[in-house]
Amino acid sequence: MSEIRLQVNNLCKSFGITKAVQNVSFTINKGEVHALIGENGSGKSTLTNMLTGIYSIDSGTFVLDGEEIHPKNQVDANDHGVSIIVQELGTLSGLTVAENIFLGHEDRFVKFGIKNTKQMIKEANELLERYGFDRIKAQRMIDDYNFEDRKLVEIVKATYFDPKIVVIDETTTALSQEGRNELYKVMDRIRESGNTIIFISHDLQEVLERSDTITILRDGVYIDTVKSKDVTEEDLKRLMVGREVTGDYYRSDYGSVISDEVVLSVKDVSVPGLLSNLNFELHKGEILGFGGLSESGMHEVGKAIFGASYDREGTVKLADGTEINDIPTAIRHSIAYTSKDRDNESVVLNQSIMDNICLPSLDELSDKRHMLHDKKLRSFADKFAKEMSVKMVNVDQFVSDLSGGNKQKVVLARWIGKDSDIVVLDSPTRGIDIKVKQDIYQLMDRMRKDGKSIIMISEELMELIGMCDRIIIMKDGMISGQIERHETLDENNLITMMV
Amino acid sequence: MSSSTVTMGQKKITGSLRGYLILLFLVVLSWGIFKVLTPNNFGSFNNMLSYFQASLIASVGAVGFYFVMVMGMFDFSIGANIMLSAIVGCVFATKFGLGYIGLVLGALLCGCLVGLFNGSFYVKLRIPSMIVTTGLALIYEAVANYIAGGVEQTLPADLRMFGQMPGDIVLAVAAFIVAYVFLNYTKIGTYTYAIGSNEFVAKNMGINVNKYKVLAFILSGGFLGIMAVLTISYGSSMVAVTGMASMSRNFVPTMGCFFGIAFKKYGIPLQAIIIGEFIINIIFFGFIALGAPTAIQDVITGFALLIIITVTSKIKKGEIVK
Repeated sequence: MSEIRLQVNNLCKSFGITKAVQNVSFTINKGEVHALIGENGSGKSTLTNMLTGIYSIDSGTFVLDGEEIHPKNQVDANDHGVSIIVQELGTLSGLTVAENIFLGHEDRFVKFGIKNTKQMIKEANELLERYGFDRIKAQRMIDDYNFEDRKLVEIVKATYFDPKIVVIDETTTALSQEGRNELYKVMDRIRESGNTIIFISHDLQEVLERSDTITILRDGVYIDTVKSKDVTEEDLKRLMVGREVTGDYYRSDYGSVISDEVVLSVKDVSVPGLLSNLNFELHKGEILGFGGLSESGMHEVGKAIFGASYDREGTVKLADGTEINDIPTAIRHSIAYTSKDRDNESVVLNQSIMDNICLPSLDELSDKRHMLHDKKLRSFADKFAKEMSVKMVNVDQFVSDLSGGNKQKVVLARWIGKDSDIVVLDSPTRGIDIKVKQDIYQLMDRMRKDGKSIIMISEELMELIGMCDRIIIMKDGMISGQIERHETLDENNLITMMV
Repeated sequence: MSSSTVTMGQKKITGSLRGYLILLFLVVLSWGIFKVLTPNNFGSFNNMLSYFQASLIASVGAVGFYFVMVMGMFDFSIGANIMLSAIVGCVFATKFGLGYIGLVLGALLCGCLVGLFNGSFYVKLRIPSMIVTTGLALIYEAVANYIAGGVEQTLPADLRMFGQMPGDIVLAVAAFIVAYVFLNYTKIGTYTYAIGSNEFVAKNMGINVNKYKVLAFILSGGFLGIMAVLTISYGSSMVAVTGMASMSRNFVPTMGCFFGIAFKKYGIPLQAIIIGEFIINIIFFGFIALGAPTAIQDVITGFALLIIITVTSKIKKGEIVK
């Protein structure tokens, strides 16, 4: 029988009246990858945040190798042998790569109050080399690197000291395939060394492939722990949602005729260093997909259309000839945009759900004297939050308290409320559970049928194949290929155009 | 994978060299303009040396204030601190007969104490640093006035070594070295940038954010104390003003600090503060050489500095500035 590494005993955590984790108990063994799955808001991140000292525990205990632990912060958790790689960016600007790796652990380089920067850089470079990330230089500022490389620095930071437990919280969705492979290698090394990984992912296929054991949470309650080899993806969906997930996950129609009516035309659009000479048209009622590697420039396409790119050249024109060169014009002309970077670019974290949903619709919600009335705002926000099934106490709740999936629902509720005709969705299902994904796909399908046009940018090839009428593949800032919706279309068709 | 999200493949000169070249260009430009306008009584080598000497005073305060500013806080009590510390140092040196030790230690400790008050009130009251330090500035002015007994405090000639070469240079250079070591070779420097970057993440990394915020104010206060020594030594006396009149002393160190913030990305913030203060003084003395009225001087200096900071900061499009 495997040795127990961590016991979770009757753990509870509430935020106001929201019970995020309710009396959860289970065990995790040494030398295993233990996946933690559940819908958004099921309590996975709250539980691991308590384990790593980010949140305090209301009641219950964590027992690590027979000893009860109460981490006060991440460094304290590190000292107990627990580390975490978070979903969003966890490195700090203004510091070097080396300073980021050893942040909170500088004491070993300090003698008589003076930090041995040279030694710190040397050790950080050695670590980066050992992990195969030697293209990242420890002495350079972290700001010199892109999101993906910064995530790799986080991987080094979280694992270099050989922790007993590493929590990987929805990290893979932020990485390209290449980055994921790097992470998988690190995971294999940790498991082989007899240490443990708590792996949080919404990609159930990935969970089944990468984990040994899976614990399922639902609405903050423990549901079951199963062996990966004994279950199927369908079993997991049923356990997560609490019922059979029936019906088609993606669209099931093929051969639909797309309207000839062009609602948006993009001509010779370039953004220095990011996009080059982009030309395409979007039709009424069409879902147009953009795929490619993370750095292919596809994420900039959404910004360029929405008028959010700087130094953009070329034209983005609506059917009536209106040129879209800035965000206010885009919104005024019924274009909506959701960014990949949800927390920084889509939601206002420290504002209520109501404020977030009403934000672009304030003109429509104000009266003749341009006054806003709380009752009207509340009922507007409430209607669309409920339509998107946002899990919330009420619309006064701060968005920062919501899980990733529920934040995304708030963003979508905002644009549904605005009744936008052209919707640009960048990575709409990033870090989102199966149920919300299904909701979003169904919503997109409904919008398409209502004559709305959608641009879907995604690194998930299967969802592009499943949802789009047409897929444009980007490479090095340019269009490298285009493919129409077809039953026989598979990932390989797209991958050959991507690399 | 690329190592940068934006334009790649362009060979650029290194960050710090670029920063130095920009600063050098600004020095030459500001010197050149006034040299053309008033060739006879401005900008000789000796003149430039004396402008530089004068600029060292504010540079010392600015390098200390940099720790506070990088963390995202502000201090409106700089002028009051300089005034109070100078008076305390002068009293220690003369009335208590402690000479240079009294002058330096008195001003230094007083500056640190003011920093401690600023920091402690800020973290305990949990209100914006601007408001806390504005309120406290009034109190420091009143205390300075009380200690001075309402009369001008004069530093005798035999205690004014730090008002001339080489004393001023030695003290200023010592202060710069200390600031450089704190910023680059201690945890305080790393944590200063970490807290300025993302306080929440810094907290999660086990950094005692409040402690380091108070420490930043204390450090800043200490450097302002040394600036007070240089100020009273250079000017020979200090008057304890009240009614927020000390605020006028805030401007020069704050502007120098802006240079530091603007050149942080080139990795030379402290060097930028020193050269930035020098540029401010070239402009200031240039106007004096021209005989321009004070109001005109202030208007043009204000505009010139805003332009310099705007151009050198080169904030990326879309970057949020608060």
